Amino acid sequence: MSRYAVNSLLYRLKKDPGFRAKFMADAATALADADLDDAERAAFLARDMRKINELGGYLHLVMSIPGLAAH
Amino acid sequence: MGKIVFAGAMSHVLDPDYYQRACGALGRRTVEECMREIAAMGERFSATKADALIVVADDHLNAFSFNAVPALCVRIGRHVQRMSQDHAEAFDKVLDHMPERYALHEGLANAILERGVERGFDLALSWEAPVDHAFLSPVNTMHGTRPIPPLVPIWVNCFVAPQPTARRCFAFGQHIARVVAESAWTVGIIATGGLSHFPELSLPRVGETDTVFDRRLVHWMETGEHEPLLGLTGDELHKAGEHEFLNWMVLIGAVTPARADVRYFGELPRINMAAVEWRLG
Repeated sequence: MSRYAVNSLLYRLKKDPGFRAKFMADAATALADADLDDAERAAFLARDMRKINELGGYLHLVMSIPGLAAH
Repeated sequence: MGKIVFAGAMSHVLDPDYYQRACGALGRRTVEECMREIAAMGERFSATKADALIVVADDHLNAFSFNAVPALCVRIGRHVQRMSQDHAEAFDKVLDHMPERYALHEGLANAILERGVERGFDLALSWEAPVDHAFLSPVNTMHGTRPIPPLVPIWVNCFVAPQPTARRCFAFGQHIARVVAESAWTVGIIATGGLSHFPELSLPRVGETDTVFDRRLVHWMETGEHEPLLGLTGDELHKAGEHEFLNWMVLIGAVTPARADVRYFGELPRINMAAVEWRLG
């Protein structure tokens, strides 16, 4: 589990609208080069913010990414 | 000789719509009551005609990304921008209607930084980091349509472990007080965030607070018993959802041994909202 990999990806999803749109359209392709382990990748593909938080994703990011935020 | 002429601490998501969505009518009513007290604090601060306002707050993973996370950082330069976020959600949305640019007090910021290096505080600095709701929601609520004096934004890393200790934050506040005393300026200082919310930064625990812990903090602030606050551990703060109390510790260090008056304390399922003001001699 990489706290950096998960959170840098969350940060990019929040701050980079182009990357976010790519993720929304085709998450598997958007994440192809991401340095994630199997559990992290599965959580992102499922857009499961609760699991991402459990895997080390910072709460304020999982609660504030446009279109993906858990409330 | 300079002087701290105002000191207050307060919750920092000051958005009735946000709390309506999160907690219903009680949420709206609670934050509106808290905002009224913060606005009254702002009137008292404005009456001091202070030269600068130091704002001690945290970054919600907005300004610093993950290429560097400073423990303590001073914003220098002449102006600071409001954080921009496309399609803002949740607590980011409160920024939407706020002014985009704010003047900074360059002299005071530089003095805190430079004398810090001389006195054992190797502080991070930033010329570019924008400020989010943690800074601007209280500042704008305090001032309404009145002019905002030049700001000195200071970030404390409240969320990305390992955070600075409560004791270190307190000592940093003492450093700020010395710098102000040696200056020619009258200065206000506010610390923002809290009180208890988001224990362990765990999504399933959003909606829980630790009111007992909050009451202990409030008691120590009211009585000016600051020694127990110095012993607060990162683990305690994390479990109780008191991460942002580190910002308050900087302020407490700056005004110790002053006692606090609680202007507002309101419990919500999601967060305990507070507004506190210190009695300065």
